[in-house]
Amino acid sequence: MAGTMEPVIRFADVSKVYPLRAGDVTALSHVSFEVERGEFIAIMGPSGSGKSTLLNLMGCLDTPTSGDIFISGIRIQDMTDDELTDLRRDRIGFIFQYFNLFPLLNIIENVNFPQMMKAGEVVDETKAVEVLKSVHLEESLHTHTPLELSGGQQQRVAIARALINDPDILLCDEPTGNLDTKTGASIMNLMTELNKRGSTIIIVTHDPTIAAYTQRTIRIVDGRIA
Amino acid sequence: MNAIFWEISKRNIRLHMLRSSLAMLGIVIGVVAIVSMGILGNGMVMLVSDSLSSVGDSVIVMPYAGGGGMGMGGGGRTADLMLTEQNFQQIKRVVAPNLAVPVHSTSERMNVGVNSDDIIATVYGLPPDDVPDMLQLEAGSYNNQDSGCLVGTTFAKDHNVKVGSRISIGSDGQYGTLRVTGIIEERGMSFDISTDSAVVVTDKWFENTYDVNGQYDEVVVKVTNGDTATVKTTIEKQLNRNIKEKTVTVIDSKATLETIYETFGTITTFVSAIGGISMIVAGVSIFNIMMMSVNERVKEIGIMRSIGTRKRGVMTMFIYEAGIIGVCGSIAGGVLAVLAGYGISALMLQTTEYLVTVSNAITIFQGVAFGIVVCLACGIYPAWKAANLNPIDAIRHE
Repeated sequence: MAGTMEPVIRFADVSKVYPLRAGDVTALSHVSFEVERGEFIAIMGPSGSGKSTLLNLMGCLDTPTSGDIFISGIRIQDMTDDELTDLRRDRIGFIFQYFNLFPLLNIIENVNFPQMMKAGEVVDETKAVEVLKSVHLEESLHTHTPLELSGGQQQRVAIARALINDPDILLCDEPTGNLDTKTGASIMNLMTELNKRGSTIIIVTHDPTIAAYTQRTIRIVDGRIA
Repeated sequence: MNAIFWEISKRNIRLHMLRSSLAMLGIVIGVVAIVSMGILGNGMVMLVSDSLSSVGDSVIVMPYAGGGGMGMGGGGRTADLMLTEQNFQQIKRVVAPNLAVPVHSTSERMNVGVNSDDIIATVYGLPPDDVPDMLQLEAGSYNNQDSGCLVGTTFAKDHNVKVGSRISIGSDGQYGTLRVTGIIEERGMSFDISTDSAVVVTDKWFENTYDVNGQYDEVVVKVTNGDTATVKTTIEKQLNRNIKEKTVTVIDSKATLETIYETFGTITTFVSAIGGISMIVAGVSIFNIMMMSVNERVKEIGIMRSIGTRKRGVMTMFIYEAGIIGVCGSIAGGVLAVLAGYGISALMLQTTEYLVTVSNAITIFQGVAFGIVVCLACGIYPAWKAANLNPIDAIRHE
């Protein structure tokens, strides 16, 4: 289990190979790195370099072909699907380029969703309201549905949803890719603010201006860390 | 399971109300078809049961006619096709202590009152002492004299006959006039004697009138302990010793009743199965809309899985959706089926008195349950498919 000084993410000689009919494709080759608690990191690389594979592995949506991955000190290989799901729910917050909120639920319900998965029952709104306040979303919007909100507002809701279970890591996949420059900047300012409050944030991006907000950049080229 | 899945399922059905309503309509039609056919079948069984159950303890012995059959009452009279006094005495001996009643019967013209139209009805000749054991009266008293007779309730109603009325038997009353002493209670269809539209006279009057002394059309054995099968076998053993030349045909009314009930049961099952085809079609429709629902929400499922929803949660969400359609459609179908059953019973059976029965309640419950089970069964594969989508592929789905 996690020790007090354990990195939140540790990749040890991780490779990921996709077996295809035309031949095996190596998406990641012998990748090793660590992310310490409280870091703000950008992962950059050209298309097809292995960024998405790396994100999927960090998010426990996939498992490596070889090597070891530890999330908060927990080795994810050989975990069952339910165990990986619970790990994602409790320790990882996902933020997507297209927000990916549930259109059938209102804002409070969207934010509360991971909390309800954890509790197995309906939970009260107190924490969701608190988290939405921390991402600067007006309270009058709480009962609206996602489609009634602007892109920037939807992304704030998505960030609140990612934060609701107090995860160890926030994994962001091009979080400003679907926003205009001004709104993107405000979202990145929010990310910076969250990092200052202690959140570990990893952003996958190809935009150097976004990477400029972070403390460290990991560059991936042809499945290897450059 | 988590209430949020229930909420999402409800909202998704509301969002696609037309599609969901059409799927529900399929289930409604399926349940109505199955249940109304079941109600009709139950009604038929009960109608026949009410008509026949009073003769469930009888064994009927008739002269062997070569191919069997139930030539009850009336018809021509041939000495070869009559039971003899010796036959009767043999039957009486082997069935003792059960009561054996020799029966004469024929069709005859008759008139009620003066200048009335000719009536053709069956005339039964029975020993007066045995009549109270076979027939119940709704009015008047049993007849012990050759100048009197009993009439069936339908006969009495149709021809305005009352106790004390006079009936002239034969063309122009050639066989004399009989005074009605009693009206026989309704018996319905019977294997032994069908008295509702008949006249019952004494055996002595019948034998003297038609010159059939010691010749009987049939013998009815009233079995007191209910073991009609044993009585039937005993009679056959005694009277049909010569296998090549059988003397009698023996009908066990209880066994025949059971066969009739089984036949009606089979018919009911068959017509319900035809109704079941519409349920299968409805099931295919549910399967189709559930697959559509899954395909439309692949990305949503991917997001749910990535942020911590277990496979079981996703599956539950889709099962709830199929369940809501199934429960609503089936209950609506059950209610409409009662109305349809009422209409069909009134139309085909001419009565609705058999509608509120335990068997119909069971039929409705089974129909509704079957509708729900079909919906859930048709929702399982789409739900399983949704739950087992690869989250990475699902998130990328456009």
